[in-house]
Amino acid sequence: MVDSQEMVKKVFTQDSARVDTNKGDAYYNSLFEKAKSRLEALKKQPALKDIDMMEVVESEGVNRRDFMKWASATTATLMLPPMFTPLVAEATELMNRVPVIWIELQDCAGNSEALLRSSTPTVDDLLFDVLSLEFHHTLQSASGHQAEEQLEDAIHHFKGKYLLFVEGAIPTAINGGYGTIGASGETFQENLERLSKDAAAVVAVGSCATYGGVPAASPNPTGAVGVMDLVKGKPVINIPACPANPANMVGVVLHFVLTGQIPELDSLLRPKFAFGYRIHDNCERRAHFDAGEFVEEWGDEGAKNNFCLYKVGCKGPMTFNNCSIIRYNDGANWPIGVGRGCIGCSEPDFWDKYAYERPMADANIKAPTGGVEKTVDEFGLGLLTATTIGIGVHAVASAVAGKRTVHSEDGEE
Amino acid sequence: MKTVDLVERIEGEAKLACSWKNNIISDARIEFLNFRGFELILEGKSPLDALIYTPRICGICGQAHLHTTVNALENIYENIGEKLNITKKAKLLREIGLNIEIIDSHIKWFYMFIMPDITNLSNSDYSDYSALKGKKWIKASSVASETIKSLAIIGGQWPHTSYMLPGGVVSDPTLLDLTSMQNYLDQAIKFFEHDFVGVDFEKYLSFSGLKDVNKINGDLKDFVNLSFENDLEKIGMAYDKHIVLGESTLFKSGRINKRLSTKIDLNRISEDTNYTFNIEEKNDSKDAYGWAKNVKYSNEFYETGPLSRALVQSRKFIKEIHKEYSDSVFTRVISRMDELAHLLYMTKELIKQVDISEESFIKPKISLSDISEAKGVGVVEACRGSLFHEVSIKEGKIDSYNVITPTVWNLGPGDKSNYSIAQKAIIGNTSIEKAKIVLRSFDVCSVCTTH
Ligand code: SF4
Ligand code: SF4
Repeated sequence: MVDSQEMVKKVFTQDSARVDTNKGDAYYNSLFEKAKSRLEALKKQPALKDIDMMEVVESEGVNRRDFMKWASATTATLMLPPMFTPLVAEATELMNRVPVIWIELQDCAGNSEALLRSSTPTVDDLLFDVLSLEFHHTLQSASGHQAEEQLEDAIHHFKGKYLLFVEGAIPTAINGGYGTIGASGETFQENLERLSKDAAAVVAVGSCATYGGVPAASPNPTGAVGVMDLVKGKPVINIPACPANPANMVGVVLHFVLTGQIPELDSLLRPKFAFGYRIHDNCERRAHFDAGEFVEEWGDEGAKNNFCLYKVGCKGPMTFNNCSIIRYNDGANWPIGVGRGCIGCSEPDFWDKYAYERPMADANIKAPTGGVEKTVDEFGLGLLTATTIGIGVHAVASAVAGKRTVHSEDGEE
Repeated sequence: MKTVDLVERIEGEAKLACSWKNNIISDARIEFLNFRGFELILEGKSPLDALIYTPRICGICGQAHLHTTVNALENIYENIGEKLNITKKAKLLREIGLNIEIIDSHIKWFYMFIMPDITNLSNSDYSDYSALKGKKWIKASSVASETIKSLAIIGGQWPHTSYMLPGGVVSDPTLLDLTSMQNYLDQAIKFFEHDFVGVDFEKYLSFSGLKDVNKINGDLKDFVNLSFENDLEKIGMAYDKHIVLGESTLFKSGRINKRLSTKIDLNRISEDTNYTFNIEEKNDSKDAYGWAKNVKYSNEFYETGPLSRALVQSRKFIKEIHKEYSDSVFTRVISRMDELAHLLYMTKELIKQVDISEESFIKPKISLSDISEAKGVGVVEACRGSLFHEVSIKEGKIDSYNVITPTVWNLGPGDKSNYSIAQKAIIGNTSIEKAKIVLRSFDVCSVCTTH
């Protein structure tokens, strides 16, 4: 049994250190050289779209300086040192060398919506003008049979080169009968398997595509699963969250353009540059947490003073994601900013584990790592009892260490 | 002859199967073939969980689902004799959030969904509207992105915000926040004046007759011209029966079946599933062909959406257009775009009314998880029309949850004796291109339809 309050406090207040932000000069220098020659090679390849990035940027009234500011912010998001900024800028201009195909399966289109909403400083243009989006179900002009043909052309033409973005889960019950697509009635599963076969990598966006998401919430009526459960023998990158943050989608493409490789991933296949930290590590309300100042219930004095939301169910301490840094809608805001608390949407099965009624007071929730434990409130500071501490600390500590399994200490798994 | 076409650029995909006789569509089926099962997933969950589940039914109208869930849960309190005290501020913030979502959706719908099909009817150069790269497309997408930020300020993010809960809202905007919201809306109004209708905002709002259609300039003018070149004012008529369930500062509830009646009895709403797949494959009825259900009021099909809202609310400009062109594609599209103007105006007014010194949230005395048995319904006007949720709880958990979306009103599978609204509007058309435009005039959303 771990010693009580101090230990819990330590777990919740220490920064998680899953990402090594300083890998040393030698590492970065060699990566820099590699990226440079990769970009040289890409430059020699024909552009898939004949659009000059800087022209676009300038025609939108954004000057070179603003653009470089954006590039340096993006470099930081990718957790690269500042010397990479010019390369990131260059990679942005070369985004039209990498074809992207985007499909929607059992989804709500929330990630496409989020993508449409990204515009720093007209990343709309970066994406839509420069990014070679060869196919997008909802956004492209073509529809009907014409759209189907366009997709066939794209996968044929860019065999082995395209990034396949997948939005939505894949229903597997009744032989895939809960979701079919196209004139031939191909099931979502068949569609995914066919399109991922010739992709350079498959990027699952949103919690549905990554872990099955809402459709997979119990009792999972349609047998929904995520991309990584079906696609084998191919790099799969998960960008969970509901919706996924467009900055992270752009980040993955940029990283691919820059290095020709997929970014470093954690055990859940999430890029570490985005999911290497907990929400809690960079939360604007963190000082209040450390000071023990909590919103006790919505609308109280604490709420008016932007105190910590832990006691009204914030899952920031168990959730790995970078929205506390980049926020949503071009940085306009994020859930904790309005006093709602984090719901843990980038963690597996968060629908069943984390989404329990808020405030969390009486809900028995499962630990981030799969163990069973008592309520979060019970291991809220000041409310600790000896039994819950042992379990709670263990589970949370495992999460922080990034392990996927936990040996529950109370014997119930 | 029979043809099957795919309808994309909606949220999700639909199939349009038409039968033809003498080059005229004699029968039409709209097949929705994807299903997630939200209602089943909600069973057994804590009632407050619904607040984060239902917005995920749709990435476009999640706000509306959130608001309807809150209404349904608050209705439960009312039904057990424990009416909650919701402050004016909380009500305003909810309505403002919902309005902004509709504004955003209407802008996008025009540029991303309707215009690409309509400009296809013409040989002239409309490349400014082409998806992903046309100047107008890009401009509209960035205006929508800017506008939605005003919702993020109170909602925390968009899509999928969860800032409302029984008792009020969690957000507590400052004066500065409210001012930035106004600024974002001002930008949208500027866009409306300069690019969209090419008419001064005040002047547009005073439009009241058919002749005012000629005063329209800007991008909407392109739509008007294309409509009259291609007879869109003559196609797409359904039953011309309309229903509006929700009420807000701008919208009034009521229905039109020849005459306007302001009485709505939610108990007269009924659903049937004879033409709908069953969750267990083997139990499908032989007529089943998709996941959409039929919904009726007093056993009749009604249309819902911006046109219905304008008529029930008696908005002069649209009433005049409707007198001339009935419930055609043209009238339907113009109604939606006209609503955009009124929403922009009204939402700015509502923001002005927010009194920041009021409470945002007053905690209910009883927790929903302590209620042994109760029922609640909620209705709201979403971008595409009336949205209805019905929840019942037993022993503090959701016992059943039923969602009826606007697209189910408009795009149901129809039945032996009657075609659904969209079917009726499609039958009789002479080309598949036009049939698809008719279908689109309802602002189809496949994920909402089947949920
Ligand atoms: S992960 Fe969330 S945003 Fe994405 S499709 Fe699923 S419900 Fe929608
Ligand atoms: S609001 Fe949540 S993430 Fe922020 S400090 Fe409190 S517990 Fe941590």
